[in-house]
Order: sequence, then structure tokens, then C-alpha cells
Amino acid sequence: MRLLVLAVLSVALMVVDARFSLLKPARSQMSLVLMDAYWITDLPGRLWEGVASQFGSRTELVAENEKLKTENLLLQGRMQKLAALTEQNVRLRELLNSSALVNEKVEVAELIGMDPNPFTHRIIINKGERDGVVLGQPVLDARGLMGQVVELMPYTSRVLLLTDSTHSIPVQVNRNGLRAIASGTGNPERLELRHVADTADVKEGDLLVSSGLGQRFPAGYPVATVKEVIHDSGQPFAIVRAVPTAALNRSRYLLLVFSDNRTAEERANDAAQAQENLDAFGGGPVVPATVPKTVNTQTATPAATTATPAAAPASATPAKPAAGKPPATPAKPPAAASKPPAAQPASARPAAKPPVTAPATTGGRE
Amino acid sequence: MVGVKASRNGWIVWLTFLIGMLLSVSPLPQFMEILRPLWLALLLAFWALYMPQMIGMVTAFCLGLAEDVLYGTLLGQNALILTLITFLVLSLQQRLRMFPMWQQSLVILVIFGLAQLVQLWLSALTGNRQPTLALVLPALVSALLWPWVSFALRGLRRRYKIN
Repeated sequence: MRLLVLAVLSVALMVVDARFSLLKPARSQMSLVLMDAYWITDLPGRLWEGVASQFGSRTELVAENEKLKTENLLLQGRMQKLAALTEQNVRLRELLNSSALVNEKVEVAELIGMDPNPFTHRIIINKGERDGVVLGQPVLDARGLMGQVVELMPYTSRVLLLTDSTHSIPVQVNRNGLRAIASGTGNPERLELRHVADTADVKEGDLLVSSGLGQRFPAGYPVATVKEVIHDSGQPFAIVRAVPTAALNRSRYLLLVFSDNRTAEERANDAAQAQENLDAFGGGPVVPATVPKTVNTQTATPAATTATPAAAPASATPAKPAAGKPPATPAKPPAAASKPPAAQPASARPAAKPPVTAPATTGGRE
Repeated sequence: MVGVKASRNGWIVWLTFLIGMLLSVSPLPQFMEILRPLWLALLLAFWALYMPQMIGMVTAFCLGLAEDVLYGTLLGQNALILTLITFLVLSLQQRLRMFPMWQQSLVILVIFGLAQLVQLWLSALTGNRQPTLALVLPALVSALLWPWVSFALRGLRRRYKIN
């Protein structure tokens, strides 16, 4: 009898949970307590890391520091080039009157647990609703896209990885812009392109980047590299297998991307508005706003190309001495100055955690 | 008078459930994920077997809800499974207590296997299609672990006089 009642109750709960959002508050309240379990099980590893860094020998630390410095130098060098390119892109886009760039902000999150179910590829990260994470938010690591947020809890959230068999992402071949859809296979090292014509120009080694067509992932982030293309005359489509560029089962630090969720139209309108304001405000259109920036970057570029090791770190001073951060968080918002509205989604959110968010704003990205 | 004693040391039972919950989300190497024993179900089976006056289907239901939140499945899915397991254990309780250990393990295997099949069916209904019958493997591992878990918990029970 009791079994019957409880069984009916649980079936009813399942139906309600699947169909309506009635139970979401209860769930988030429960997760407030329960998600600590992941944190606790993660604790030994964290402690071990702490102890290891405490007792790590000085020479090791010096070596690591050296390595990080060179890496930083390289990335800074690349950033300077990127800044120039971004400026150029902005100007060309203005000439074309095409829609404005999107300023994306990223925030560092840490992985605290894997989903215990071996058939799903989901991870749990230590940022949640209270940190401004939203449903469907893209997650990156240093090398590429990892997945999207599928469940929000107050201080944690669940991320569905690209390789889960229920996940698909619109991509583009970087070489020629060919569009396709990459679906997960349930294998952490494997994505598959669905319904690619047999004659399509896809080759082994092609880089697939996100195309942004699904309105969920920002465009232009690397997703996977094509591993093999099989043309089977018995099959209607070519079989294209790709390997995700992100280290899906190895990354510990992830980046949450805060792209603004305005539509392209709104964005264009805002950009036009900004332009008008700028024109009305003081003479010159956008050029004066960008000029100091370009001057900066152009003066900085020769310094780096001559490769005086002292000069490049000097130009790197605005970036903070990021110790535990992955090196790929690009600093410097070069295009931000020319577009006040693009910074709005950033300022609308609670501006907590200045050390993490401040250097993490990327420059204008398509 | 039983109730008085149970209320005195009942917290140990809840402590074991807490540990079971931690074990059920603790990270494992990739190849072992598929073999992860059903810790909560094992603990529930033991306590339902030896302390049916304290641990029943309602407890199982609540623990199942907690597990649902932990795993991110639909609320009620694991609750249904754990309730079912507890029901089967409770209905076999009188006989199960008399059985030798290997026979207990066998019964546990059957019960957990059934529960995992229901789990498979439920997750197929909710769209997370799970490819294989490998889902029954945890039941096997749990059955193999049963003698040890049972032995340890019995020791715990005697030590702290929980009844």
C-alpha cells in the first residue's frame, strides 16, 4: 500500500518535473545542501594540490615560473597582433556598415565534479545562478568550446559537454566556411558531422569552428579538428569524424562566456545609436576613439617584434600576474572604447569579483 | 524501549547514508565509472533488513529524491527505484535474514538487477537513451560487495548497539 502511494507520488513528481518548472525552486533549495557532496569529494584532490604546491621545491617553482613567463610573452605577442587585427576588422566593418562586434566577457570557473552516470557527459562547475550564470551559457577551455550550461543551481551548475550523445552544435569549416552540424557520440574523443554531402569539401585536419547559427554559441570558437572522412558509396552521406579541440576530460579550469543576448537587429540599432551619440557629442566619429588605442598597439608591436625581453613584460603590466589562471584569458579590451553599448551587458550584471572578470574581457570578437 | 535506543544511536545510520551519498558521487577512473556500485541501495537494503522499524520506504523515497538532485535526473526517478528496492527487501525480510551470505548476495543481485532494468526503462522514457545492458553491471558489483558491506555494517551495529 505504502509502495503504491510512493510509486504514484514519484511518477507524478517525474511528470511534473519534466513538463513544468514548478519544482525548480525546491530543487535549487535541495541542491544548495546536496551539491556540497561534490565539493567534499573533490576536497582530497584539492588538498593534495595544495600540499604539493606547499612542498614543491624551489627549483621546480622557478622552472614553472620561467615556463609561464615565456608562455605569457608569446601570448602577449600574439595578443598585440590580434589587437591590430581587431582594429582593422572594426574599421572594415564600419566601411561595410555591417552589424557591430560583440564584446564577450569571460569568467573563470573551476570543475568540481563529473556526472556519476557513465553514459552522459556532464560536469559540475563551481559557478551558479548567484554568479550570474545563465541557462545555455557556452563554456570554453583554453583550447576550444567545451559545452553549455544545462542546469542551474545557486552556487553550482551542470554543463553538458559537446560529446554527449544528446548534444549537437552548428559548426563551420574554418578553411572554406562550409556549414555542418557536429553531434556528440558518447565517446569523449569523438564528434560526428551529420548529413555532410559526399562531395562536400571537408578534408582531414580541417578546423571546425562554431558558426553561431544556433544563437547559443558565439561564432568563431574552435570546436574540433576533422580526423577522418570516409566516403562509402553505400551510404547517402559522407562519414566525417572529428576530435574536439578542448580537453574535455582533462581541463580543470574553464571559461564561462558572457555574450550579450540581444538579437543582431538590436545590436545594430544600439551600435547606430552609439554612433549618433558619438557624432553629436564631439566632432569625430569613431576614429578618434580608436586612434589612441591603435597608437598604443602600434607602439607596442615593434617593442615585441624586436623581442627585447624586458620591453614585452613592461607592455604586459596591465595584465595582472595571473598565477593560477589558464594563460588563454586574453586581457585588454581594445575595441571596447569605441562602443559604449557593447559594454552594457557586462555592467548590467553585478560587478562582483573584480580580479577575475576585469582582465578577462576579451577584445571584440566576431 | 526499542525506540529509545534507536533514537540514541540512530545518527550513525544517517551518517552511513551520508557517506554512501559521497561515495556515489566520488570521482572514479573512466573505466570504473560503469562499475560504480549502488551505494545508497546497498545501505538501504542492509538497514531495511536489520532495522525495519526505523528504515522503510519513506526513508528510501527521501534518499532517492536527494540522489535525483545530485545526479540531475528527473525528481522521482531514483526515488522510485530505491523505494522499489526497499519494498522488495522488506517483503523478503524474514527469509533473507536466515539465508547464508552467498544466498543473500544472489537475492540482492536479482533485486538490484530488476531495479536497474526499471532504471533503464525510465531513462529511455525520459530521452537519455542508454545504449546497453551494461547498466546491470553495477548490480553485479553491488552483489559482490554485499558480504563485505553487510559484515562491516553488522560490526558497526554491534559496536554502537544500534537497534
